[in-house]
Order: sequence, then C-alpha cells, then structure tokens
Amino acid sequence: MQRPDWAPETIDIERPSVARMYDYYLGGSHNFAADRAAAQAMVAAVPDAPLMAQANRAFLRRAVQFLTDAGVRQFLDIGSGIPTVGNVHEIAQRGAPESRVVYVDVDPVAVAHSREILAGNDRAAVVQEDLRHPERILAHPDVRRLLDFDQPVAVMIVAVLHFISDDDRPGRILRTLREALAPGSYLVLSQASDDGRTEEERAEAERVYRRTDNPLWVRNRAELTAFFDGFALVEPGVVWVPEWRPDSPESAEDAERAVFMGGVGRLGG
Amino acid sequence: MAAPARPGAFARAWAKAVSGTSFLPMTQAQLEALLQRLTDQLADALLAEPFDLRPGHRVGTELVANHIASAEGLGRTVEVLQLRLIRDLGLVGDDVEDRMARLLAAIATGYARALRDRTLDEQESIRRAVMTARAQAERALRDSEARFRHQATHDPLTDLPNRALFTERLTAALNEPGRGAERIGLCFLDLDRFKVVNDTLGHQAGDRLLITVANRLRRALDGHLVARLGGDEFVVLVERTGGTDDVVAVADTALAAVREPAIVDGTELTVTASLGIVERQIAGTTPGHLMRAADSTMHWAKAAGGARWEVFDAERNRRELARHALSAAIPAALERGEFYLDYQPLTSLRDGSLLGVEALVRWRHPELGVLHPGSFIGLAEETGLIVPLGGWVLAEACREAERWSARGGRAPFVSVNLAVRQVHRPGLVQEVRGLLQRTGLPPERLQLEITESTMMSTTEEPVRALRVLADLGVRIAIDDFGTGYSNLAYLRDLPVTELKVAGEFVAGLRAPAAEPASRTDERILASLVSLAHALDLTVTAEGVETAGQADRLRAIGCDAGQGWHFGRPAPADRILERVG
Repeated sequence: MQRPDWAPETIDIERPSVARMYDYYLGGSHNFAADRAAAQAMVAAVPDAPLMAQANRAFLRRAVQFLTDAGVRQFLDIGSGIPTVGNVHEIAQRGAPESRVVYVDVDPVAVAHSREILAGNDRAAVVQEDLRHPERILAHPDVRRLLDFDQPVAVMIVAVLHFISDDDRPGRILRTLREALAPGSYLVLSQASDDGRTEEERAEAERVYRRTDNPLWVRNRAELTAFFDGFALVEPGVVWVPEWRPDSPESAEDAERAVFMGGVGRLGG
Repeated sequence: MAAPARPGAFARAWAKAVSGTSFLPMTQAQLEALLQRLTDQLADALLAEPFDLRPGHRVGTELVANHIASAEGLGRTVEVLQLRLIRDLGLVGDDVEDRMARLLAAIATGYARALRDRTLDEQESIRRAVMTARAQAERALRDSEARFRHQATHDPLTDLPNRALFTERLTAALNEPGRGAERIGLCFLDLDRFKVVNDTLGHQAGDRLLITVANRLRRALDGHLVARLGGDEFVVLVERTGGTDDVVAVADTALAAVREPAIVDGTELTVTASLGIVERQIAGTTPGHLMRAADSTMHWAKAAGGARWEVFDAERNRRELARHALSAAIPAALERGEFYLDYQPLTSLRDGSLLGVEALVRWRHPELGVLHPGSFIGLAEETGLIVPLGGWVLAEACREAERWSARGGRAPFVSVNLAVRQVHRPGLVQEVRGLLQRTGLPPERLQLEITESTMMSTTEEPVRALRVLADLGVRIAIDDFGTGYSNLAYLRDLPVTELKVAGEFVAGLRAPAAEPASRTDERILASLVSLAHALDLTVTAEGVETAGQADRLRAIGCDAGQGWHFGRPAPADRILERVG
C-alpha cells in the first residue's frame, strides 16, 4: 500500500506554488515569499504576466456570466487554485442562487483555503484531486452529491491545461470528462499559448515554472481547438482571452498581450 | 450594488485610470457605476457643513473592499481626483482646494488602513490554510502508515496476524528482560486433508473455510496471539504458561473450534486439524527453535492420523533429526565413495559349495563409523535416494563379480537387492543390460532379489521388465518369502528362479525338534520347499546359524543356506579365499 499520491510528505511553503503565484499576479496577498520571488522572476522575464492573469480571470468571469445567462446551473471548476476574488460560485450564485459549484485543485493549501471560504455554502464544495485523473474527479462523492450529470454541467479548465504535459494525454482527459456530460453541457478552456511569442520569452517562462511543481506546456491555437473535439465552439471560437465576448471593444485591444487563448464549447444534442 | 445614477465623465475617467491596476471582478459598466457613487459622496463631502473627513476614510475603505486594492490603484485615484474632481464637477467654495487636500489625505489613510488589514487578513487566512493542509497531510500519512503497517503484518484473507508479526511478537516475548525463568508455549495447527476441500469444492470454498476457521480460532482463543502462517497453517502463542497442561488446554480448545461443522457453499464440512505443542522455559530457546519444534510435532500428529495434538518430545526429535541428517548426507557420501559392499555366502546344502554371494551395502561414515543397511536403507527408500544408491550397489556388484571368474573354477553368482522404486523405474531393463555389457558379467551370474511387496502393484510394467531380464538369463529371487501377503498368484506370472525363505521360519529350527513350535516351522518349511520344487524353483534358507539348523534344512530338501553358520558378510576377497 502506497501513500496516496495526492498527499505530499510535507506542505513546503519554501517551494513556489502556481496557485499562489497566480494570486499574486491578481493582486492578492494569499502568498508567501517564495511565491512572490518566483512571480517576480516571471514578471522580469514576461512583464505582462500580471496582465495575463487578470485577463484570464476576466475571461473566466465573462464565461461564467455567459453560462449563467444560458441557463447553466452546475459548474465543475478544475484547477480552481486559491479562491481569490471573482470565484465561479460568487458570479454564478449572484445571478442564480440555486447554482451548484464544485472546485477541484491538486494543491492541498489551495483546497484547505477554499474549504474555509466555502464553509456554510451548501451549494459549493472543494475536492482535492488532480486533473490527470478525471475518472477519480467524476467518481468523487462530493462531485456526485452536488452535481447531477443527467443535467447540463459546465466544466471549467481555465489556466491549468498548460501544466498538463502531452505525456499526460490531455486529449484523453477531456474525452473522459466529455463522455460523462449530458447534452447541453459546456466546456470552458483557456491556457497559455505561444502564438506570437519569441522563443526567448517562452524559454524564460518555462525556466521560471520549472522551479515549481508544475512545469509549463504552451500550445498553439490549433492544439487548443482540438481539445474542443466533440463540442461546438460558441462565438467567437478559440481566441486571445480578451477577445472572447469583451465587455467593451476597447478592453479587447492588444489582446495577444494576454498570452492566454480560450474558448467555450457546447455539447450538442 | 451600484447606484442607478448614470456615470458622468469624471467617474468614467476614474474607472479608466484604475482598470488594470489589479483584478476587478466586475464589468467596466459596474466599475463606472461604483465610482459614480463614490464620486457623489466625495462631492457631498467637499461642500458639507461642517466639513467632515469621515466620508474620505469611507471611500478609501470602499475602494479596497471592491478590490481596487493595489498601490497603483491608490496612486491613480489620488492623481485623477486631484486633477479633475473639482474642475469636472464645477465645485465652488472658499476653501474647496484646502478641503480637497485634506479629503485626499483621508482617502489615502482609509485606503492604506483597509489595504493593510486586508493584506494581514489574507496572510492569516493563507497561513491557516497551510496549517490545515499540513495537519491533513500528516493525518493522511499516519493513516496510510497505519494501514501499510497493518497490511504488512496481517494476512489479507483472514486478517489474522501473519508470520512476520507473529515472529516479531514471539521474538519480543523471548527477549524481554527478566523473563528468562518464565515459560512459553506454541501450538502449531494444520488442517487435515485441506487439499481435498480445495480440489473438490474449489479454491474459493477453501478460502471461505479458512476464514471460518480463522474467525473461530480468534474467538475461541481470545487473549492468545493467533496467526496464519500461510496455506492452512495457523499458530498460537501461549505466554506465561505454568507447564505443558496449559498449552494442552489451549490445543483442546483450538481443535474443538476447528471440529465444529462449517457450512461452505451450502455444504456442511467437518474438518479436523493436527496440532503440535511445544512448551518450555524461555531461557535458552529461540523463535526458530520453537517454531521448528512445534512444526515437527504437528507432523507427528498428522502422521498419527490427524485430528489430535502431540507434545514435543526432545528424544524423538533428536532421532528424527539424526535420521534426516543421515539421509541428507547420502548423495555426498555416494560422490565421496563412502559406500562399499560386503558379501555373504549362499552355500549349497547338498555339497557345501559356494553357489553365490549376496551383496550387502556398507557406509563408512566419517563420524559414525561403519553403518549397516538397517540404519539408512529405510531412509533412502522414503526419500527416493534408494534409486541412486541401489543403482550404485548394482553397478559395483556387477563390476566386482566379473573379476571373480578370473580365479578359475566356477565363479559364484552375485545376488543384489532391488528396492520397489528401482523395479518400478522405467529404465531398469536398460540399466541392467548396460551394466552387463560394460562389465562383461554373464547374465546368469547376476541374481536380483525382490520382495513380495514389489509385486503388490497392479501395474504390468515391472512384471514385463523382470520377464525381459529373466529372458536375458538373469536370475530372479523372491526375498523374505513367506512374510509378505502370501498371495502366490504372482508366481504364475513371474519368471522366478529362486525363493529365499525368511529367517524367522529357520529360527524355529534351533529349538529341539520335539517342541511343537519347532515342528510347525519345520512343516511350513517342508511345504514351501515342496511347493518351490513343484514349480521348478530352488529354495535358499536365510538366517542359518547352527549346524543343527543346516542338517534339518538339508533333510527337508532345501537347496541352499545363508547365515552365520556358512559365513558372515565380508569383503569379496575373503569370501573367495575361504572357498578358493
């Protein structure tokens, strides 16, 4: 019998966590010196990093709003990270209080923090699991308890797929999730893309993230589009995230600076 | 959240200034509406009588609460307010510039306080999350270690402690300081004929039976450590015994628990067990000794028919160990040439001539001295080592016997004992034919002695082999005739040349002829001789020790004799010299 693979030997705050680095980019203080040092190194290499995180977070907000407006009332947010401002359940439950949200993250600190935030919210839960094991996520009792897979569910995989290597077969992960979904379900996806970046910038970003537990895997638009296999992309398709249904035309300016590409797909039927 | 007021040019400019300074979980329109509300509050404050700084604090606090919460957010707010608020809103007043400066200071103060509080709160909450996560990880680790430890020390089928844990506990009990004078006991238990259950009902049924037995032992022997060693073997540790009786009581309980009928797959099964008991003082013993002693004792119980316990007996164990050691040494002894042959004469009762000699194996053991067949042939037969040993005897006898013809005159035949396993081996005919060819010994100078029990087998093969050998000219003798199952049917089928009559009939002839028992033996011998002669067989009497016996045997018509009267076993040279 082995130790469960999600239980690290120690919780080491000397080691940067991608969840807390992301929180730092967003202006939060849910982070430690090592996280800030790594995030600052990233900013030195890629000065737009905070902008990227903010643009991505804004994409998440608009996508959830879009889904809420489309009548979706169930959300599975995988790779949810540190629950900083603008969480899925805040946005969804503000519009539709009956919305149910399950967060999934592999980082035990992020999970413990989420659990504290969600205390008292019986329509939201957090599960510690790895996106690499979608079947475990789908079988988790808390996921089964809150989400009814006979009804549409929005699966959010936002700013996390670039931590999944090709060896982990992201296509298989997405297929497993898709096969569990009812018609009318949605997939929201975004990840770092190397379209339009210099080789140097990409190398430097990858070097910074090699210090974390999660090295970076950037992908281009075609690869991202392929992840939506089986889903019908809603307008405008896979784009730089600021271009995805912007609040105002000017907020989509210089969109490629956001580095993140994303899209929303709907399961037909 | 936002006031319905339409955002004015100033609020829009403010919103534009703070966008992108940190993540704002709202649309641009929501942000503008929020800042319009704050603008209104600031405008009111600038004109209010008396002048009050508290709205400035509140605006600073509210900005942070709405996540406009970065250094840049504050800087740009101060800038845009200072540059545009009074002008854009057309505010007029004597001291409005003065008030603006003080209000900005209040906003910055409120903002910095709120941001500091928020930062500290967030730091606290993330540290709390780390502690929670750490506690959980440690608990998970402890649980998994406990689970791991349990799995490493327990049998997965029955959940009883396994051999590793049992050995650990036993070792601890033996090594605990100050307990040397105490006594300890083991019960080694093995189900009888468990294999039959597996073979007839299947392994799943066997497993269920083991679970049932394990549960009963656990219940019945509460307070003693019961472990499953593997297969259908269980062991019980009985600590602080006062003597063997204490362990016997445990053994009785265990056997009774096993004996209760068990329902497995709707079949009622009654199983029994064999149990070995060892009980002794702790001082001077080791876990290995105790386990081996209990294990051997269990096998004694099994050999005695099972469904019982036996208590360890050091003397019996010593004998068995010695026997075991002896049999284990046979292959090496063969290689080192520690075996040799003596020969005993088979003498004609008619003219006293030497007809043949019986080869008798000896073992010149480096420690025990010369051993006679009685001390190792039985062992060799049990272990199957009789095949290489018997093969060596046969080859050596043929090799030596061939040389005897060089002495001139009629050389005696050599008679060699064949064990049951040798006769039943497929290669016997080839082996003998090969030996005769290699040594050049004429077939009629080789006699193979087999026992009646060799022929008890129902298979045809040995009979066919012996017939082939007889056709070659090899003599076949039945050894110890008259002591076996007295089924004479095989005499019809077998190409027997000679009967060797067992020494116990001959022994009777030592008594005076007038004694009734002696007369009976004589009559039996006479009938055997006449039966043999009627079948055209010769008869050799074994165990002839006196001249009187020889005379009476001759009178009966017996053909030959063997025994001390005619000569003890000795090296071939000495035998041949004497007749030479």
